Amino acid sequence: MPDRFPDYDVLAKRTSPSWNDKTREVIDQRLSMPESCDALTEQQQATLRLVIDRVVPQPEDRASVNAFALLAAKIAANKSDGFRHHRLPPVREAWQRGLDAIDAEAKAHFDTPFAQLDAAQADAILSMVQQEKVTLAQWADIPAELFWSWRLIPDIVSAYYAHPSAWSAMGFGGPASPRGYVRLQKNRRDPWEAAEADSGILISAKRKNRHVV
Amino acid sequence: MSSDPQENPRARDGRAPDVFTPGGWVPMREHDDADEVDFAIVGTGAGGGTLACKLAEAGFSVVAFDAGPYWRPLEEFASDETHQEKLFWTDQRIVDGNNPIKMGSNNSGKAVGGSTVHFAMVSLRMRPEHFATRSKLGYAVDWPIDWQEMWKYYAQVEQALHIAGPVNYPWGPHRPRYPLRPHPLNAAAEYLARGAEALGTKWTETPLATVSAPIGKSHPCVYRGFCVTGCTTNAKQSVLTAWLPRALKAGAEIRDLAMVGRIETGKDGRVTGLHYIRNGQWRFQKAKNVIVAGYAIETPRLLLNSACDRFPDGLANSSGLVGKNLMVQLNQAAWGQVKDDVRSYKGPPSLAVSEHWNYTDTGKDYDGGWSYMSQGPLPITWAKSLAGGRGLWGQALIDEMARNNHSVGLKMVGECMPDENNRVTLADEKDQYGLPITRITYALTDNDKRMRDHAVRFMRDSLQATGATECWEEMDDTCHLNGTARMGDDPATSVVNADCRSWDIPNLWVCDGSVFPTVGGVNPSLTIQALACRTADRIKAMAARGEL
Amino acid sequence: MAQKNKEEALAVRLVAGGATVLAVSVLSDSGMEHYRGSFRDPAMVLPLLSSAASIGFNARRAGAHPERAPDSEGTEISHLISTSIGIIGFGFHAYNVLKRPGGMRLVNLFYGAPVGAPVALTLAGALGKTADALSRNNGMIGPIDLKDGRVIAGVTSIGLVGTVAEAALLHFRGAYHDPFMWLPIIVPPIAAVSLARDAIDNVPRPVTTALLGTTAALGLIGVGFHAYGVARNMGGWKNWRQNLLAGPPVPTPPAFTGLAIAGLGALLLMRTAKKKRSHA
Repeated sequence: MPDRFPDYDVLAKRTSPSWNDKTREVIDQRLSMPESCDALTEQQQATLRLVIDRVVPQPEDRASVNAFALLAAKIAANKSDGFRHHRLPPVREAWQRGLDAIDAEAKAHFDTPFAQLDAAQADAILSMVQQEKVTLAQWADIPAELFWSWRLIPDIVSAYYAHPSAWSAMGFGGPASPRGYVRLQKNRRDPWEAAEADSGILISAKRKNRHVV
Repeated sequence: MSSDPQENPRARDGRAPDVFTPGGWVPMREHDDADEVDFAIVGTGAGGGTLACKLAEAGFSVVAFDAGPYWRPLEEFASDETHQEKLFWTDQRIVDGNNPIKMGSNNSGKAVGGSTVHFAMVSLRMRPEHFATRSKLGYAVDWPIDWQEMWKYYAQVEQALHIAGPVNYPWGPHRPRYPLRPHPLNAAAEYLARGAEALGTKWTETPLATVSAPIGKSHPCVYRGFCVTGCTTNAKQSVLTAWLPRALKAGAEIRDLAMVGRIETGKDGRVTGLHYIRNGQWRFQKAKNVIVAGYAIETPRLLLNSACDRFPDGLANSSGLVGKNLMVQLNQAAWGQVKDDVRSYKGPPSLAVSEHWNYTDTGKDYDGGWSYMSQGPLPITWAKSLAGGRGLWGQALIDEMARNNHSVGLKMVGECMPDENNRVTLADEKDQYGLPITRITYALTDNDKRMRDHAVRFMRDSLQATGATECWEEMDDTCHLNGTARMGDDPATSVVNADCRSWDIPNLWVCDGSVFPTVGGVNPSLTIQALACRTADRIKAMAARGEL
Repeated sequence: MAQKNKEEALAVRLVAGGATVLAVSVLSDSGMEHYRGSFRDPAMVLPLLSSAASIGFNARRAGAHPERAPDSEGTEISHLISTSIGIIGFGFHAYNVLKRPGGMRLVNLFYGAPVGAPVALTLAGALGKTADALSRNNGMIGPIDLKDGRVIAGVTSIGLVGTVAEAALLHFRGAYHDPFMWLPIIVPPIAAVSLARDAIDNVPRPVTTALLGTTAALGLIGVGFHAYGVARNMGGWKNWRQNLLAGPPVPTPPAFTGLAIAGLGALLLMRTAKKKRSHA
């Protein structure tokens, strides 16, 4: 699908009144997170990379989203969300078991490690997990559907949509403090908000988006 | 020493953070552990923080404990969903039952000010009949307090929080005018209004605890839309910004990063104080009275974990009801797509509300009431909704996310029935303090499910009446936590009496959402604060009569 | 053009001056507010153009050499257009309020297009036309005789009441959070009533002059208060792109000043007319 918000970049507002110091600090740190993860084996990391790529594909023509780095940090820290389904282990262990099981499932079906599957094959395996149509016994330790809906999906989408590039692609205003918004009614846009393609009558969305500060 | 408020306590050495000034401080009276203070309060949220203020203003010596840090919102809150997870209670808890509850983000807080630091500011009164559902409507149990008294205290809290609400409230008995005028409607709220009008029901601007005019040191709301991740401008009237500055001024002490693990009981069966851990050290604070206000999970956890020889099943638990009758509220939603550019990320998430189904008893195949509000989910929340509620992933998810500015939704707050099977118990596992973690067991009742089905159908109709297409229903969401230490008139069927005083131990009190016998179809924070104000007045009266 | 006495000439300048101040207030206010409305309707540019023209014509009439002000068709047309655009704008603003969900409910009056605002442009046009008619010595608009100042006093009084109503509504929106917000609700109505009484009795009283003077001053002080109000919003003046629009409107209070000055002109005319009568 063509970019709905051509040339809109949340980061262009970084030094505007839409961002406070704390936000700048937090986002700067996020954008420079390391891509490594000691808590996972090479194989698990490779599996995770492809899982992320299939669940939340990178935006076209935009800075890539480092969801892997964010999620890897969470797994390494074994960071709790404040609750754990009674049939699932804590974060790190859940991911280790889940990634191993996905990889094993790939090998069982395609005779290839998950990380080396093509897109269609990878999606087929992930659909099996989502719909609990997995075949291997090792899923007994990590119930597939629960792993999918309580761990894999929330963790991955949370990591992806923590990135400014993902915000820009969806036309989200991004950080907003001290400056919030003035025009709250429908079809009204503050000059520091994204313009949607084809909404421009006199001035193109692209041009408006280049002046979002 | 590190200045990280999550690592080192801030409220010490005779001062506490000034939430209105970057880097600022206000003086704070301090007590020695050996001082037998009048009240030791566990928790500084809607129940504990409000009480700390009211009791200190009444001249009692007060120490209020909170396990979380003492933030200065102006300089320490980012406009960021991920970073602001620091406001949530993310210590481990196990969830089970037919409908395990998702904890953490939307129903708990670990910060001075409690979850009001990140609440959505919706400040509704419970319908009068909902304080007496058994005798007036024939279900559940009655509160031991008359609605008129609660409504009197609602007015008091609304004044204290400078609630911005409609000039005329369309449901229920007359109420005094809200201190501030309503906020403007955003496009999402306009969709609620138009839908309600199309269906022939009433709607109104949501009474919100965020100021619509400059009040004191609070700036008016700037409609930045990050309310549920913490307000960076102090427009939000949370306990942190509204009650605690007053509490400090009146001489209360607040101990941040102080997790209370156990309440001590003396030979005479009265409590003598509490054990808490601060700076890695377990300490004991002596107190004449202990008030537990940790919300519906931590309150029963502390009472159960304080079991001793004399009270082997936990404190205040002769009824066996501590931890039982946990009630969430239904928080299901209907969503749709519209041609208009809605951008519901602007403004507080719920600017319009309908209480139609709180005040209408006909046309229902279930007991209880519910309200619904317009919505403004931030990106991560929305992505989880789409991925969880519609099973979207891959390019389909990314493409749908890119249409977010045209999505509109309505979300309910629905009354769940009390059920003893829904409960909080202690697990074998221990947390970072060495305390047993909780196991939270939950299943929706059949009545809850019927309400949910009706509500999502109605909300969907409302959206469709405004021309929304591609409507879908998000069936898996709950909010708020209540019950687990219910109040009542009978020691056999309740944990505390109408004054929030435990039946078993006269100097042990519980004052937070846990005491709710029923929850009504509105967000609970205003009711908790009203209850805290009432409790403070009752305590004052009892103290004057020498009955403490 | 016959030579008028000095007092009459000053009175005309005051009326034209009042119209100028009103037009300045309209230009800056509608400029800001219609920018907030993203000029979605091209007609939203009209009050800017006509108030700008109104400032041009009225300021010359109010200036040090009013005799050099043009008495052209252009002046006539400009004032007529201002008056009409104000009335049409009133209709548009009312429509903007009514089409919102809930229609005529307070939240829409608070946050919709301010219904009373366009009337200020009508008043600027009407006062401008009045000053024109007076300076051309016949002092008549159609059958209406303006020379004794009573009609102008009446119009100004009504204008003040309308402006008070607008301020009362919008200060109510702000919950009168600052006690000074009561000032424009208390003083100008007294001035308006006093002026109306003078017009009816045909007796220009000194107390009215004092009240109108105070009202004029309040309008200017109001700018200061509103500027302070902007500063009290998050980010203060540094966040001006939001706060100028979200805070109290800085350009609106001088509408009181404009009307009060015109009212002083009317009083002066009444005094002159009275002297003439006693001479006769």
